[in-house]
Parts: sequence; structure tokens; C-alpha cells
Amino acid sequence: MEAPPVTMMPVTGGTINMMEYLLQGSVLDQSLESLLHRLRGLCDNMEPETFLDHEMVFLLKGQQASPFVLRARRSMDKSGMPWHLRYLGQPEIGDKNRHALVRNCVDIATSDNLTDFLVEMGFRMDHEFVAKGHVFRKGIMKIVVYKIFRILMPGNTDSIEPLSLSYLVELNVVAPAGQDIVSDDMRNFAEQLKPLVHLEKIDPKRLM
Amino acid sequence: MNNSQRWCKREEKQLELTLEALISQVADLKNSLVSFIYKLENEYDRLTWPSVLDSFALLSGQLNTLNKVLKHEKTPLLRNQVIIPLVLSPDRDEEIMRQTEGRVPVFSHEVVPDHLRTKPDPEVEEQEKQLITDAARISPDGAQKQIQSLNKMCSNLLEKISKEERESESGGLRQNKQTFNPTDTNALVAAVAFGKGLSNRRPPGSGGSVQSGQPGAGAIIAGASGMQQVPMSSAPAQQQPMLAGVQMAQAGQPGKMPSGIKTNIKSASMHPYQR
Repeated sequence: MEAPPVTMMPVTGGTINMMEYLLQGSVLDQSLESLLHRLRGLCDNMEPETFLDHEMVFLLKGQQASPFVLRARRSMDKSGMPWHLRYLGQPEIGDKNRHALVRNCVDIATSDNLTDFLVEMGFRMDHEFVAKGHVFRKGIMKIVVYKIFRILMPGNTDSIEPLSLSYLVELNVVAPAGQDIVSDDMRNFAEQLKPLVHLEKIDPKRLM
Repeated sequence: MNNSQRWCKREEKQLELTLEALISQVADLKNSLVSFIYKLENEYDRLTWPSVLDSFALLSGQLNTLNKVLKHEKTPLLRNQVIIPLVLSPDRDEEIMRQTEGRVPVFSHEVVPDHLRTKPDPEVEEQEKQLITDAARISPDGAQKQIQSLNKMCSNLLEKISKEERESESGGLRQNKQTFNPTDTNALVAAVAFGKGLSNRRPPGSGGSVQSGQPGAGAIIAGASGMQQVPMSSAPAQQQPMLAGVQMAQAGQPGKMPSGIKTNIKSASMHPYQR
């Protein structure tokens, strides 16, 4: 039930297919401050932006083996923000020269009754977590440094515990398909964060 | 007679080889000097000290090899050779022009004393004489002591520098070691990608603690039984045994408790998409 690969889909108008280019790494809690300092220097000059989000992952099990996955995210600290629904496709198996993980990506802002709607459609929540961290931007690149918290009581986002002693660092760009130059820019930026963090493309299928 | 002839020939051969080696060495030296001068003249505003040091090092290396060639055992005593100009003419000489790349057009009276001189400049000669008299004045013991103190100072300095370098290197290494943990990276990526380690597959220990913390959930468990069949398998199974507490802790619950009740009722009635 996965969407067909982007290259096969005809461009018949409507929205352009956007791809997400992703590089991931992690940093230990004790080195977080130095990483934030460096990012503040490297990235666009903005007010430091923190976030506290609650993400729920919904699965729709069809006849095929692989379920359809949708991610619903809501902001826990900013009121009045819409919910964010996201579809992420399978990583495109491009040539080895591509430095970032590339996958099809569809982002939609929705109203508050997203979970009800999804459940009505037949989705079931697979897992959820709370993400708390910082966001930086540099041009079209977005750098997110956040800690993942496990939710101990389903539905209760107050009782949470951190999943590990590290922060996850993600560098991602959402751009139209075919712009591989983006991954070069990402790799150059990732070089500047070494040796604090090693941002690389990590294939999630390897970690299953 | 034969022997001395052969010896003469050998000498000539050696001389020729030496001269060729010297010419190539000097040509190399000349080239590096040319590039250095060019660098100084044209790139002086961008020049960095390490780059200048590089050029000097190159020149010094080449002078060294030149010295080695001169000291080589196969080199005949050039001191015993004499160069005498045979013909001096004020006319342009094409051959000389070609050989010197246009720098010496004429082999004449003014050019020859400069190019064929063996004595150093008068000032230089004076300084050298002065140095020689100074050196002769110092007793051999005094000279030895001076040499030793110079050597000791050099070695002290070298030691200090190398210690500094080692310390800064190891300090840097220690600092760089533990800023990230690859295992953590993998765990976090797996958690975000497909929920590994999150509510779904929690270890049984924490599952037990959750059960005790949910007294109010008992009412929902009844309604949840119909709902539980969905995550477990796609085949409908109304008679699924109610594995209450543990399943409650696992996923399958929507995010909000109140809506959970409503949803459960709906899904218990055999949702069409479950097929």
C-alpha cells in the first residue's frame, strides 16, 4: 500500500512531489551545550526556538504485508498551532554518491480532530513519543536537536521518561524531487559539525 | 703509459658526469629561486609565513644536494681544474644566448670577470678573515665548551616543543572522544523510524508497573477487548481472550483516553477496513 516511487508518477499538475533529504546523528547530553553553541553560530540568526511535541504514529493494515504509516504531531507548548500530519515514503535507493537519505514526503496541517478522523478511517496507533528540543534553520536546511521521551501511560503525556542519554540530531531539507545538489550542501554543513556530531545517512531497515 | 692514459680517460669521464650532475642541480636551484621570486613579487599580499618557509626549505634542500654532489667520492678535485677563457669577443654569440636563456648575450671583457670569478666580494672576504682570526684566538677548550652549550640549548628547546605538542594533542583527543555514542544514535533512529523501544515493545518489568497505575482503566478494559483484535492480527477474532493489563499498556490505544471509549465501541462492530 506504499505510494509508487516518485520517478514513476506522471507530472499531471497539482502539487509537486516533495522529497525529504535527511541526515541523522546523536550527541550525548553532556555535549549538548557545545553543539547548541556551534549551531547558533553556524545557522541563521534567529531567536533560539524550542519545541515540545507529541507524536503519534498510525498504521493501516491492509491485505499487503507492509502497513501504511502516517505520523500525527501536535505541539504541547504552543497553543493554537495546527496538528501536523506527515507521510514518509520508503527511502529511495539511489546511487551511493547521494549523501543523504531521500524519501517521498507529504506534509499537511490539520485541525484538532485528526486522531478521531484517522481512527474512523481504520488507522490504529502503533506507538507514540514526546520530542523536546531545539530547532535551527540555515536557508532551506532545518536542524533539529531533540530528546525522545517514552510515554509510560498511553495518552498521559505527563508521565514520560527519556529513551536514552543522548539527543537525536537531524538535518533535513524538504525540496522538490531531483535536486541532488541539496545533499551536497547538507554534507558540507555536516562536515562543520564534526567531530561533535557525525551526521550520516542511516538506513532504518538496517536497524530493524 | 697505458695505465696513465686509462686513468686520464677515467678522470675525464668522471669530470663530465660530475659536471652534468652539477648543471642539473644548479638548474633545479635556479627554477626554485625563480618561482620564489615570482611568489614574492606577485603574491606578496596573500603570502603566508608557512608558504615562505616552504620555499626556503626547498632551496635549502637543493643546496644540500648540491653540496652532496660536490663532496661525492666520485667527484674529481675540481679545485685542481682551471677555467681559462680562450676567446673574448664583443659580438653577440647566439650559442651563449641560447645556453643562458638570453641572459648573457656577449662573452666579452665586462662579462667574464663577473661570471668566472672565484674570489668572494671584498666585504665578504674581510668578514671571513675577521671570523678566522676570532676563531683562532679561542682556545680549543673554550671552543669545545661553546659547542657543548649550544648543543644543550638546542636539545632543551626541542624537548620543550615536542612536550607541548604531545600534551596539546592528547588533551584534544580526550576532549573529542565522548561527544556522541553510535549505539545511542542507532537506538534513537530506530525509535523514530518504527517505534523500537517505545510503548509497543516495552520490557515486561515496566509493563507491570503500568498495570498498577491504572485503576481507572478497568472500566475501559471491557470496552477495549473488541478493540484489541485489530493490532494483534488482521483476521477478526471476537473470541480473543482478554489479556487485560499487559495489552492495555501496549499500543493500540489512541492518544486520548476519553475518545478511546468511543472508538472502541465503533471498532468492536467489525470495521470494514479491518478486512
